[in-house]
Amino acid sequence: MSLSTAEDLPTPAPIVVREPSLWFKLGLVALLALLCLVPFLFVLTISFGHKIEGAGWAFGFEFSHYKRFFLGATWPETFQSLYIQRLGYSLFFAAIGAVIAVALAFPFTYFLTRMSRRAQTVWLVVLLSSLSLSEVFIVMGWDILLSARSGLPALLDGIGFTDLMKDLGWFQWFRDVGLASPRAFKFKTSGFATVLCMAYLVWPYAVILLYPALSRLDPALVEAARTMGARPGQVVRTVVLPSVRLPLFGSTLLLFVFLLGTYVTISVFADPSQHTLAVSIYDSVRGSTLNAPFGAAQSVILLITAGLFLIAGQKLSKAGGTA
Amino acid sequence: MRISLFGRLFMGLSAVMLMLPILVVAASALNGGRSMLFPPQDPTLTRFSEFFISEPIWRTALGNSVIVALSSAAIAVLFAWPAAYFLWKRATGLSKAIAGLMALPFAVPPIVFGVGLGFMWSFLGGLGSLWAGILSHGALFAALPLVTISIGLQSIDRAHLDAAATMGATEGVTFRTIILPQTIPYTISGFFFAMVLSFNEFIVMFFVSSSSYATVTLQIFNSLRNGFTPTMAVGAITFIFVSVAAFSLVARYGDLPRLMGADQSRN
Repeated sequence: MSLSTAEDLPTPAPIVVREPSLWFKLGLVALLALLCLVPFLFVLTISFGHKIEGAGWAFGFEFSHYKRFFLGATWPETFQSLYIQRLGYSLFFAAIGAVIAVALAFPFTYFLTRMSRRAQTVWLVVLLSSLSLSEVFIVMGWDILLSARSGLPALLDGIGFTDLMKDLGWFQWFRDVGLASPRAFKFKTSGFATVLCMAYLVWPYAVILLYPALSRLDPALVEAARTMGARPGQVVRTVVLPSVRLPLFGSTLLLFVFLLGTYVTISVFADPSQHTLAVSIYDSVRGSTLNAPFGAAQSVILLITAGLFLIAGQKLSKAGGTA
Repeated sequence: MRISLFGRLFMGLSAVMLMLPILVVAASALNGGRSMLFPPQDPTLTRFSEFFISEPIWRTALGNSVIVALSSAAIAVLFAWPAAYFLWKRATGLSKAIAGLMALPFAVPPIVFGVGLGFMWSFLGGLGSLWAGILSHGALFAALPLVTISIGLQSIDRAHLDAAATMGATEGVTFRTIILPQTIPYTISGFFFAMVLSFNEFIVMFFVSSSSYATVTLQIFNSLRNGFTPTMAVGAITFIFVSVAAFSLVARYGDLPRLMGADQSRN
């Protein structure tokens, strides 16, 4: 409050009017535009470029890469939806991962903000360390935990769960959903492992994103509701949740967009038939198929998808904020 | 306020889930053989000496990681300081444009930014050189010090500035005696945030390095085809250790809950 009133006061006119920083500012804008904006312009330009067999690409203006994405390379003779499917899996995995992460982060963050300042600081150090941990390490950890030889399948086998399921005749169900081989449980590759790892990846982000909103929640509100006889569950449902509805929605959306580009997790844990757009961008630009313009076109589509979701989210949250 | 039994149980479970993969990786580093087994077989500390001393691949990778992380964090702070300062002094369209540009790489899926940087550096001739990687990470993570420095600038009491102005201090003097000292902890926090994230970053560095040099995360990914080995787990331990140390320093010398957006009035 004090800040805005200070700004509203008429400031005394500066005695020396000089603007040496203008050139500096323009220089900074130019430098940042080069580093932060130009890369995206390159992606956009090259997506219309022409692929040279075995050499790379040349500037051009053709829509063949977009056509290949939406209709298949051989359209109109045949129609292929492989890349639309890939985009679908990107959206599918990212949505489930983000929702699970936020759903599990919400109660955690709520309890975290009720702790002492000191305990909060310790937790924040742990969370930030986990959040910044490289995806390759996290994948490494879950790879061991889910591996057939020394991970969860071996544990389930050891405690007799595998045999129990076989005796009960439920084992077939696990095979049907792709979580078991004929003899034992198998989580690599599976949608379960992918979603688990993705949710794990963004869970600390979810906590950090929800933390400001929940920590600014007036404890008097909760106390008042409790005094009036509401049970803890009721308080969360009727007081806490409605007041952090927007941050909840916003963080889910941000994490969803972040997860759209996940590469390592998908390439290790997802079945090749369920690989996402990020994997095929990688294959086109640096990997096996080497078609930079097509990779760029796929990147543009991923970018537009992410942008559309962010814009729609902003519209929705504005509407929700005024309602 | 007391936390309910359910609350403590939930937090405990979350902590276990959070720690599980990290502990498993750490334990696997002790394996005597070449494969990642848990619990470790034939425990030994040989992998640590391999990672830090005897295997040049890992030593070089670690060296590259350190160089990129430190220099790109310094560049990120250099980008962020004027931007935060301009925004704080007077939020003109130009300073908003600067902040917006810095936020851009952060708001899109990182793989797209990586692909774009790869194209740009190959066009400008920097692809595969370390400085291009450093600049790329500097641009990618400049948003972090921008946020922490802005929080620091906002925490300066305007009364101090008014007092300085009344007593005839020039802009330079005010900057040196009031603004700079009060924002140093926030600047250092921003530096550490950028450094730790750059240290751990994978996909952007992958496209920018173009296989001509490797950081630790890249080297681990490159070796992934042959499966994970205990030596890589040593890398993971090193990285976790660096992150915890950096964020502990931030917490020790700065106000971490405030940096993360906690309410000021409650303690």
